[in-house]
Amino acid sequence: MSHSDLLMKTEMAMPRTLKQACEVQSNGLHDKNDIPGMPLPVLKAAGIDLMDHWKEGLTAPGQVSNLLALRDPSLHRLSADSIGALCTLSAIADSTAVRKSAPVIAQAAESTATPQIRNVATAGGNLFQRPRCWYYRAHQFDCLKKGGHMCFAVEGENRYHAVFGNGPCHIVHPSNLANALSVCQAEVLVVSSAQGTEEPRRVPMHQLFCLPEDRLKSEHTLGPDEIAVGISYRAAPHSAHYEVREKQSFDWPLVMASVALDMRDDGRTIAAARVCAGGVAPIPWRMPQVERALAGINVKDTQRVRQACDLAIRGAQPMSNNAYKLRILPVAVSRAVRLAVG
Amino acid sequence: MSDQTAHGTVPIACSINGRAYSLDVQVNERLLDVLRYRLGLTGTKEGCGEGECGACTVLLDGLPVNSCLVPAYQVDGRSVETVEGTDEQWAAHLHEHGTTQCGACTPGVVMTARWLDDTNPEDLSVREALAGNLCRCTGYRGICEGIKATLKARQQSSNEEGNP
Amino acid sequence: MKRIEGISKLTGRERYVDDLPLEGFLWGATVRSPAARGRIKAIHFGTDIDWSQFVIVDHRDIPGPNEVAMIERDMPILAASEVRHAHEAILCLAHPDRHELRRAVASVRVEIEPEEPYLDFVAEPTQSQIQYGSDNVFKHIAVNKGDVEQALAEADVIIEGVYETGAQEHVYIEPQGMVAWEDDAGVLRLTGSLQCPYYVLNALMHGLNRTAEQVRVIQASTGGAFGGKEDYPSIIGLHTALLTLKAGCPVKMIYDRGEDLAATTKRHPSHIRHRTGFARDGRLLAQDIDIRLDAGAYVTLSPVVLSRCVIHAAGPYQCANVRINGQAVMTNRVPFGAFRGFGAPQSHFANERHMDAAARQLGIGPAELRRINLIRDGQQTATGQVINDGTDRVGLLDDALSRADYGRLREAHRAFNASNPYRRRGIGIATFHHGAGFTGSGEVDLASVVNVAGLADGRVEVQVANTEMGQGALTVLTQIAAARLGYDTNDIVIAPADTALVPNSGPTVASRTAMVVGFLIEQACDDLQAGVMQAAACDQRPVGAHLKQAIQIVVSQTEDHQPIIGSATYGKPPDVHWDEATYTGSAYGTYAWAAYVASVEVDLRTFVTTVTDFVAVQEIGTVLNEGLARGQIEGGVVQAIGWALSEECLWDEQGGMSNAQLTNYIIPTSCDVPLNIDVGFVENPYAYGAQGAKGIGELPMDGPAAAVLNAIADATGVNPTVVPMTPERLMELLVPNE
Repeated sequence: MSHSDLLMKTEMAMPRTLKQACEVQSNGLHDKNDIPGMPLPVLKAAGIDLMDHWKEGLTAPGQVSNLLALRDPSLHRLSADSIGALCTLSAIADSTAVRKSAPVIAQAAESTATPQIRNVATAGGNLFQRPRCWYYRAHQFDCLKKGGHMCFAVEGENRYHAVFGNGPCHIVHPSNLANALSVCQAEVLVVSSAQGTEEPRRVPMHQLFCLPEDRLKSEHTLGPDEIAVGISYRAAPHSAHYEVREKQSFDWPLVMASVALDMRDDGRTIAAARVCAGGVAPIPWRMPQVERALAGINVKDTQRVRQACDLAIRGAQPMSNNAYKLRILPVAVSRAVRLAVG
Repeated sequence: MSDQTAHGTVPIACSINGRAYSLDVQVNERLLDVLRYRLGLTGTKEGCGEGECGACTVLLDGLPVNSCLVPAYQVDGRSVETVEGTDEQWAAHLHEHGTTQCGACTPGVVMTARWLDDTNPEDLSVREALAGNLCRCTGYRGICEGIKATLKARQQSSNEEGNP
Repeated sequence: MKRIEGISKLTGRERYVDDLPLEGFLWGATVRSPAARGRIKAIHFGTDIDWSQFVIVDHRDIPGPNEVAMIERDMPILAASEVRHAHEAILCLAHPDRHELRRAVASVRVEIEPEEPYLDFVAEPTQSQIQYGSDNVFKHIAVNKGDVEQALAEADVIIEGVYETGAQEHVYIEPQGMVAWEDDAGVLRLTGSLQCPYYVLNALMHGLNRTAEQVRVIQASTGGAFGGKEDYPSIIGLHTALLTLKAGCPVKMIYDRGEDLAATTKRHPSHIRHRTGFARDGRLLAQDIDIRLDAGAYVTLSPVVLSRCVIHAAGPYQCANVRINGQAVMTNRVPFGAFRGFGAPQSHFANERHMDAAARQLGIGPAELRRINLIRDGQQTATGQVINDGTDRVGLLDDALSRADYGRLREAHRAFNASNPYRRRGIGIATFHHGAGFTGSGEVDLASVVNVAGLADGRVEVQVANTEMGQGALTVLTQIAAARLGYDTNDIVIAPADTALVPNSGPTVASRTAMVVGFLIEQACDDLQAGVMQAAACDQRPVGAHLKQAIQIVVSQTEDHQPIIGSATYGKPPDVHWDEATYTGSAYGTYAWAAYVASVEVDLRTFVTTVTDFVAVQEIGTVLNEGLARGQIEGGVVQAIGWALSEECLWDEQGGMSNAQLTNYIIPTSCDVPLNIDVGFVENPYAYGAQGAKGIGELPMDGPAAAVLNAIADATGVNPTVVPMTPERLMELLVPNE
């Protein structure tokens, strides 16, 4: 088969073990030395985002490695401190262990898309789905992420775009699960041929995603040979996820907030807070200024809680059509705080 | 190098509406297209092709999914239910309540409804369950009431069967 | 009676165009303009495609004139030398494999020498933007009644307002689709998702240079239309036909959702200015109304949409002095077309919002201001039509208010709003009307024909070109014929909407099917009975079982058992006089009247509006089928709530739709609609509608946007004037300093 024939064809690896998957990911489906320039396979789980990319002509057919074929039980594990990469969002939302241990994670999973999507979409797929920006998703716009020379949102319609961490590309991160995991001090477990599959590399959430200024064509920091196999997270019983939406189903929220609180023994005073905002930046956007301000506050003191949450917009740089996000972001944060207190 | 490499097509075996099928499917072929264009099961509709409208909803191992976003090879070893497998009694119940108008969303709505079958309609928010099925004709009341009444009627009849 | 085709739809057996069995066919697709306006310099075919495998059609393959026959013939079937809007069709391709086809479409690059597009229909066009006449105005309509200037000079209070509405996409769940093939006799057959088989037939005859006998159009089961499949099927029909003729085999063209959103017609955006004179006591003295509609790149149906928009602009009110100036303006956007309501929703939104703004300034309650001004029997509309139908319009309003518990709710909301830090509740009213059937002399010009045929087995077949698209036409027309003949509904057959089998009974639009076509079916049934009576020499008019028996005998006595036909042709009701030149007289044979009440809750912190309750009371003549009628009202209300709050077409710099995905064009889901829509009917039979029915389909689209925004105004104290009133827009009103 010639190089160009191979590029035109869709071929899929169906690894059964993690070890096989790692080999495929480091060598390709064919020996990469035989075919210089051949890209490594695209990793897929349920394939939702990949089907969408194929349909829109955003990704040419090529090599795919189907992780859903893996038979490793750890990929489906769901417990009070871990989530396998292949767990569906429905399973996460319905899991008693997760609900108890970290309500924010179950709520974020439950608020994603529709029942039909949640029944197939996986935790791993949700974290690594590509952005929803309509210029990125439409094949006729040759935007920065697709190797073009401009971000069309700057002069165009940017109501759903970023207000933090902006530029040169202005996407917002699409994963609400990532947002919730971020406040549960989660780490993503990563394997590769080099690393081996026994002792996965642990990548903290704040190192998992990167800003467009650091990396344009990808939203995460993992290498092309690395595979995320699971998530470990810490319990956050006082936690909640809140979204502001234009409609109540399958709409990417305008803004969202995940909050986890450590409470003092009196049950009223916040010892420490972790706050992450979504729908506002190219990565899940932690808000240390709000976290610091919330610490030590009595949750019944609504005025001080509100003042702390108002700090959420500090440093924001809205675009021409999305200044409204600055209005609703502190509201989303304070409502998440209120829900987290319970 | 994995020995499990699919060159273009993948052989699959699955059950569709209770019948066993063995097929070779393309790697980039959607379950929706296999159902509609290869098996002639045209009851399942394509409304948007992006998992938004729910017209293509089928049950995969009993759970509703958008068949436009499910790669066909992924149903290997699994069971698929489509609107064609719906019994007449179901349809007759829904018919009583103005559940369908133009009918394009209807097969998807019926499949979401069938997913709810063993659920107690009193405990259930039918509206939330239907959030993934867009309808442009009915305003949803006819659909929600139809489903609630159908679930109730089915439970009553199964209770009666259970306690002769 | 339950929907006839209900079980077929619920079991998935109903076949839509993409479901029809078809062998040896090609898929068709369209290459479209990337630019808003310009000259086509070159078309580059990508080298990564083996083009010998494709059928390619361009404007040179068109046998007849390169014109889509509509009101005017300005729209080309395929652009030849210039393009006037983004996504305008330039080439059609066909290939057996859909994926290859998609790849091929993407690899064609159309090189356009750009010219300055006219995209903002509110601004006057610059010289270089003018492309039609001297001002880009496709159509201008004026209504003049009394002396507006004089009355404004004498008015106690003058209230002005500007109201804007955006484009709305139909989002029928089944996208546009067509299949074409040539049969052994050389007849070109076309079957697809469409409302008006004869519109498509006329377009094919004109563009393909064929006689009526050489073309045949058959409606396939249609998964929603709402006006979106009134004129557009002529275009996709022509494209599919051209591919078939060149390929020599059947061709199927099914739009995917993105293409359907980007390339097909939508509701006309509007910009409406009101200047209104009131007496201190609230009486309307003068209405001065300017209307500007964005018509898009070609004329299509815009003159008729503008006409309905103008005629409804003054609302259901008595006013002695009215001046309305309406313009439909050509822009370089996708052509705007028919959408449920057809211009009336824009008018009623502006007028009903304006009434509330006026009520506030006058210090009169919104309900009271409407009571004062609602038209009474004997009074005249803006076009001078005397209303004398016996409908109690004030009673209708009071009925709606009492169902909504309006007085108590207003008090409760006031208390709630005073005690809640950030939630605001409000309630809003809209009173409105909708002219049933075609405007002015439209029905006379159509001269619709209906046949009913007595079959050999005694059953009766209704032959009409009107179509089922979800609204329940099959069921209601069956009921009408059965009732007229004394038949069981099982003994009535509705013939397929196939131009080779049914006469032209007019298009399925304008809320006319049950009322106008149904009335013709009744007359045709009478004609059939008279014919049977004569042929069978009965002593009296046969009905029911007697009729069935008589038909069997009469048909069996004919040579080759030819059915016996009863027929009817539209005749204008007496006292209906319309003067197109002066825009005076009876614009419609009759009107449906309505009063809607919406309750909302607004979150002042997130600016999200939730419609919590809705009451819809209407007078629609006789209600023929309460279940179906209720479904029409509920569905229309929800579609209108979408238009009012979330449905917005966003445009890119080439005038194309940038949110052409259902993920970003937001229609209501089951979680976004009020838990209860209380639907009430008041019956007042109309003498020239089937069993007394008036039109119903469009009415519920007209009122909800105003009712919802009036409720937002009531809740928050702001004066919203734009739909959709998205959270972002509401924030700008509530937090004006940012």
